[in-house]
Amino acid sequence: MKRFRFDLPLFLLLGFCMLFSQAVSSLVISHLDRKIDLSSQIVRSSVWLKIENKGDDSVSEILLPFTEKQTKSLAFLSASIGEGKGKAKGSFESVPLKTVNPEGMNPTLTWYAVSLPKKLQKGGSLTLEVKAVYTHILRPFPEKITQADVQLVSFEESAYYLSPYAVNVQLLTVKLPEPKVESYTKLDNSKFSGSEIKYGPYENTAPFSNIPITVHYVNNHPFSVARELVREIEISHWGNVQVTESYNLVHAGAEIIGEFSRLDYQARPHVRGASAFRNLVAKLPPRAHSIYYRDEIGNISTSNVWSDSAKTILEIEPRYPMFGGWRSSFTIGYGLPLQDFLSLSERKRVLDISFGCPMNEVVIENLTVKIVLPEGSNDISVSVPFPIKQFQETKFSHLDMVGRPVVVLEKKNAVPEHNQYFQVSYKFSNLSLLREPMMLIFGFFLFFVACIAYAHADLTISKSSASYLSKLQWDEVQTAIQQFQNVMNRCLIIHDKLEASLRDLSRTGDVQTCKAARKAADSTLKELSKELKPLLSFLQSSSQATQILPKVEELVSKEKELQEKLMLKHSTVTDSYEKKSGGREIENRVALIQQKISVLRQEVDDLLEVIDI
Amino acid sequence: MAQSAKPISSPVPVAWYPTLAIFMLAIGLVVTASFFIYEATSSRKNRSLAKELTTGAVASVFLGFGSLFLLLSSGVYV
Repeated sequence: MKRFRFDLPLFLLLGFCMLFSQAVSSLVISHLDRKIDLSSQIVRSSVWLKIENKGDDSVSEILLPFTEKQTKSLAFLSASIGEGKGKAKGSFESVPLKTVNPEGMNPTLTWYAVSLPKKLQKGGSLTLEVKAVYTHILRPFPEKITQADVQLVSFEESAYYLSPYAVNVQLLTVKLPEPKVESYTKLDNSKFSGSEIKYGPYENTAPFSNIPITVHYVNNHPFSVARELVREIEISHWGNVQVTESYNLVHAGAEIIGEFSRLDYQARPHVRGASAFRNLVAKLPPRAHSIYYRDEIGNISTSNVWSDSAKTILEIEPRYPMFGGWRSSFTIGYGLPLQDFLSLSERKRVLDISFGCPMNEVVIENLTVKIVLPEGSNDISVSVPFPIKQFQETKFSHLDMVGRPVVVLEKKNAVPEHNQYFQVSYKFSNLSLLREPMMLIFGFFLFFVACIAYAHADLTISKSSASYLSKLQWDEVQTAIQQFQNVMNRCLIIHDKLEASLRDLSRTGDVQTCKAARKAADSTLKELSKELKPLLSFLQSSSQATQILPKVEELVSKEKELQEKLMLKHSTVTDSYEKKSGGREIENRVALIQQKISVLRQEVDDLLEVIDI
Repeated sequence: MAQSAKPISSPVPVAWYPTLAIFMLAIGLVVTASFFIYEATSSRKNRSLAKELTTGAVASVFLGFGSLFLLLSSGVYV
């Protein structure tokens, strides 16, 4: 009894394994077409599988195994399925992939499972397209070359597709960059034509069958690998998305040995430097502006920009041609218009921008994308179409108080296939936009307040010195004179008012209004002369005012005279109007007074200017 | 992305920044000049604090926005 209980889990496990292996073996790949593109440093493999279910049960998962070597260099994997038989692109839809650990299978392999949107019924078939991108899988051979040598690389694969299912017919095509091949494994049914090597068709291969092949060929394409790339995307709601990209670039192909001759390279770059690359081309979004390209020592002048409505092409040349093993680090930056990338959706702002590096065919070992959001953003969420490591930090930049929230995304082994759009959404109040100007305004205002405080403060140390006392007195005199000027100016304004009332009289003939104006003027002038008295007596008593006093007194007397004449003129004119005298007669009567008035007014104005201190 | 998403642009057209910077800084500097003329010429007892503060506030508003637009137009997006 005890023994039986002990064996029960084992039974279950065994049963499960049998069930599983049955599920696996019930699938058959009736046709398999594999294309491996070796034309650059990145190896792209695409496989079309036509899968049939020959078993009794329906199947919901298809397993894809990868060898240890493939897994290590696998950068990107996608699968899409199409019902029916055609290879037409439109009918494919992508399906999710996940890593699984099926029991009873070879543990050195890594397994991915394609979950089918609907189960594959008995006798049914579907077409699956698997795209895999590998980096660092091409081995330079020889590993060290001279400047004049071409770069040879070797690539190892299996002529048969690694599959847990039996394959009826399979075909492999290897595409090379140039029709030059050093050697390749010759098998039955292998053919080299143009720049393609064809293996197959092979019929009825068992699961997990394997025939290693090696292709050793010429590949002079740039092996540009960015050991590290930091992309910083900074959003300013004042109308700009600033992108700064710092590269740490290396030529990861065969290392150069021996000396480098610039003369040879310059004379025949295609022969003496075939393995080197001279430039990099970045495809930036349209309407990119303020583009720069520099490194630690400053601007690098060897760059070109072309732009049209669909894109901006930036061509940059490092300071020296890049040979195998050589490194270069530099920074490029550009501004993009805000409205092309930022939009408002359901009260949240959404940034929609591409993830990877804009350079073509660059492998990035460590890619860090930092999205710097404006100060005051909250409720941040990120959606990236592939798995990624992410965290948040804070950055201090221009005119910041609490720092800007930064979303950091990190990806290892990024390839151009990762150049997909991703979204960062966040909440941001428009009032926060006014933070920066408010800080500037407040700063300037503090400066003005400091100036006011300085002007009001008395910073003299010795309060009893003669010069300080005389300065105080002079201040008082100045104050009195400014007040005196103020009173005088008010008097002159009343004079002008009286003149105006006379002009009104000649136009309307309304004597009563004119008289009222005169009355008002009289009382105001009286008050003003009262105000004047203490000022005059102060000035007379002050020793500092002796120089200016005669002018002041002269001004007072002239003003009085002017006032009298004006009153005389006023009463004369009003009287004449009451007596209904003719206009001509009035003019004759006041002509003399008018002359005096204008002379006096001129003198008063001159004196006012003289006492201005 | 949703169809309802509408693009966000800057509150002031980017092309206006240099013009705005020049005019606001010019006005700001004129008001600053008048502030300092007032400080220097009027005697300590005749000065009114309210007038000083208003002139200073007006000048700092113009100088603040002017320098913001100057920063923006020179490519320092704050």
